[in-house]
Amino acid sequence: MRWATRRHCHVDPAACAWLIRRFLDPEAEFVFVDDPEEVPAGAIPFDMRGVELSHHGGDCSFETFLRRYELADPVLWEIARIVHEADLADERHDAPEAPGLDVLLRGLSMVRDDDELLALSEPLFDGLYEYRKRALLTGREPA
Amino acid sequence: MLLAYRLPREPSTPRSALWRKLRRLGAGQVGDGLVALPLDARNREQFEWLADEVVEAGGDASIWLGELASAAQERELASRMAGLVAADYRTLVAEAGRAVEESPGQRRRTLARLRRELRRIRARDYFPPPGHQPAHEAVEELALLVEEPVG
Repeated sequence: MRWATRRHCHVDPAACAWLIRRFLDPEAEFVFVDDPEEVPAGAIPFDMRGVELSHHGGDCSFETFLRRYELADPVLWEIARIVHEADLADERHDAPEAPGLDVLLRGLSMVRDDDELLALSEPLFDGLYEYRKRALLTGREPA
Repeated sequence: MLLAYRLPREPSTPRSALWRKLRRLGAGQVGDGLVALPLDARNREQFEWLADEVVEAGGDASIWLGELASAAQERELASRMAGLVAADYRTLVAEAGRAVEESPGQRRRTLARLRRELRRIRARDYFPPPGHQPAHEAVEELALLVEEPVG
């Protein structure tokens, strides 16, 4: 499948791309466009104005993906909390990791193009998933 | 960059949610249903999401890239936005001052809160007014008190 999002990815689309590859479509290909009208035919648009897989009712796109694809994994909802605050900082959730994640991804996007950004952020989200999973299983922050 | 929006008067929840988010972003009020932010990638994205929220709430919204024809008016808008931020910094300095009288435990909690608040204000501080440095210092002075060894 081809998936399309806006050029100059930040934390929310990067997290969505990771989610797509890991949980929805391992063969996913990503294209980056400047305007929703440039989305190639057949590609699924996400994190763009006016599309289904985007911000809705105060949710960020990552949260919309979880709802739309009924991904009930509680670890993913932990990550959603962090991505939401890194993206929107509206203090809907308590996520002390968020400002750090925001800075790391924003900095990365200054020195790498979108393809590289997604490739480099994948292991970062893998690690975040593993960390939150261990925290959830043991009931404490892993050391 | 401008966001022009129109929201139904009722229900009032989307209206106040929007107002809160605009306030957090530090948007400058230009007119009725017209707000401005300096153009950068993050602000543009935030305006796009807010525009979508307005539409979802049954209103309509559009985003405009533009500049004021009058440099004087542009300065006036920037200084009005800076003025609001400066007032937030002054409030923070006052709170840091009051916290000196608090019990050590309370003071530590206040410090954490004020540091968060300082970060929030900085995020909307597009035209840094002179108020930032004193606010930063006031919070760091409080931090020194908190970190003093006990006994």
